[in-house]
Amino acid sequence: MKRGQFNFVWLFAIVAGGAILFLAIFGALRFGDTARFQSDTEVAKSIAIITDPLQAGFAEGSFGKISFGQETRINNVCFDDGFGKNDISVATRSGIGKEWNLPGGATSIHNKYIFSSGGSSGFDYYVFSKSFNFPYEVSDMIFFIPDNYCFVNAPYDIVGLDIPNVEVDDCGSGDSVRVCFGSGDDCDVMVYGSCSSGCDSVFDEGVVVKDGVDMKYVGNLMYGAIFSDKGIYDCNVRRLLYRAGKIAEEFVDKTDLMDARNCNTNLKPDLIFWREMVGNASVDDLSSLRTMANVIERKNSREGCGVW
Amino acid sequence: MVKGQMKIQQMAVMIVAVFFFFILVGLFFLGIVFKDVKGGAGQLQKEQAISSLRVIADMSELNYDSSWSMSLDEDKLRIMSGNFGGAYDLFWPVASVEVFKVYPRFDEVEECPGVGCNYYGIYDNGQGGVKTYSTYVAICEKVRESGSTYDDCEVGKLVVGVKQPLAAGGRG
Repeated sequence: MKRGQFNFVWLFAIVAGGAILFLAIFGALRFGDTARFQSDTEVAKSIAIITDPLQAGFAEGSFGKISFGQETRINNVCFDDGFGKNDISVATRSGIGKEWNLPGGATSIHNKYIFSSGGSSGFDYYVFSKSFNFPYEVSDMIFFIPDNYCFVNAPYDIVGLDIPNVEVDDCGSGDSVRVCFGSGDDCDVMVYGSCSSGCDSVFDEGVVVKDGVDMKYVGNLMYGAIFSDKGIYDCNVRRLLYRAGKIAEEFVDKTDLMDARNCNTNLKPDLIFWREMVGNASVDDLSSLRTMANVIERKNSREGCGVW
Repeated sequence: MVKGQMKIQQMAVMIVAVFFFFILVGLFFLGIVFKDVKGGAGQLQKEQAISSLRVIADMSELNYDSSWSMSLDEDKLRIMSGNFGGAYDLFWPVASVEVFKVYPRFDEVEECPGVGCNYYGIYDNGQGGVKTYSTYVAICEKVRESGSTYDDCEVGKLVVGVKQPLAAGGRG
C-alpha cells in the first residue's frame, strides 16, 4: 500500500516536474527567439536611419561602413508598384540547425533605392551612394556591398571610386569578384559600354552581363547592375523612372508658376512628353530615354531661369 | 488511503501554485522587456525624423537647386502643398512635413497661397500630439527683372513630426 503510494507520488512529481521543466525550456527558447527577432528588427530599422547621411546629396558620392558583431545577411525585397519600396530585413547566422536564423521584421523604405544582392551576407558591409540624374536629379541610389570586388580595365571616373573593398586593376587576392570593363580574363561580371554620342565615357551607357544575364544601364545605374541581382535592379529602375515621371509632372506645374511671374520657359511641351514617356518605362527603354534626356537637359541649361 | 489522497492533492495544489508563480514572474519580466521594445521603437522613430530633415530638404521634389543643400524651391512648395502632394502619402518617413517662413516674424499662421502667407503644409498623416523637430532652410525662387535673373531667397523653417510606431498612414 505504502509502496504503491510512494510510486504514485514519485510518478506524479516526475510528470509534473517534467512538464514544468519542458515549459521552462520551451519558454526560454521562445524568449531567446523573440529577443533575437527584436534585435534583428531594430538593426533593419537602424539601417534605414544610418543610410540617411550616406545619401550623396550635392556631392559626387559618399560611402560608409556598417559592421556587425556576427555574420549577418541583409535581405532586400523590392516592390515596384508606384513609388514602390525596399523591404529590408536582417538575419544572423545560426550556430545550430538551419544555416540562418529566421529574419527579423522587415523595415519598408519608400524614399530610398537600395541595390544589393537579395540575400548577401558578411560581417562588414560597405555602403556607398551615387545620384541618378535623368536629366534632373531624381534621387540617390544606395549600394550595399559585403564582398570584395576587383575592377579590371576600369575607365578613369571609376578609378576615383575610392571604396576600400573595391580594388581597381591591382587584383591581389583570388576571392574577389572580378568585374571587367570591355575585356579581361577570368571575369565574373562583364561591362560593355555602348555610348557613342553626348557621353564622357563609352561606359556612360551599356550592358552589364552577370551570371549570363544582361542588365542594361545608363549613367550611375551601372553600379546598381554590378552590385545587385537582376530582380532588384529592374525593380529599382522602374521605381526610379516612376519617380522621374512624378518629378516631371511637378515641373510641368512649375512652368506655369514661372510663366506667371515673367520667368518664362519653353520646356513645358518637352516635360509633358517626357512625363508620359518615363513614367511607365522600364529597363529596356533606358537607352532611348537617355537621348531624349540629353536634349531636354541642353534646352534647360540654355534657359535664363531654368526649370531645375 | 485518504491520507495518501490528501498528500497528492497537496502536491497538486503546490505544483499549480509554483507553476502560476513562475508564470507571473515571466509576465512581469516580459512587461519590462516589452516596455523597453516600445521605448526603443519610439527612439528609432525619433532618430528617423531627425535624420530625415536633411533628406527631405534635399529631395528633388522640394529642393531649390541640386547643388545647394538645405534650400527649398517656393514653386515646388506651392505645388506639393496642393493636390499634387497627395500622391506622396506613403512616401514620407515622418508623420508630418511643414514649412514656415520665419522672417518677418508673424503672430498668426497664414496658409499659402495667399498674400502675406507664411505656412506650407506638405504632409500630415493625421496622427495627433506629434513631437516635432525642425531646421532652418532657405526658401528661394528665381526672379527675372530688367532682363536679368536672380535667386530671391527668404529664411524658413522645415518642421517634421515623429511618426508613432505602428501609426496608420493617410493624409489628414
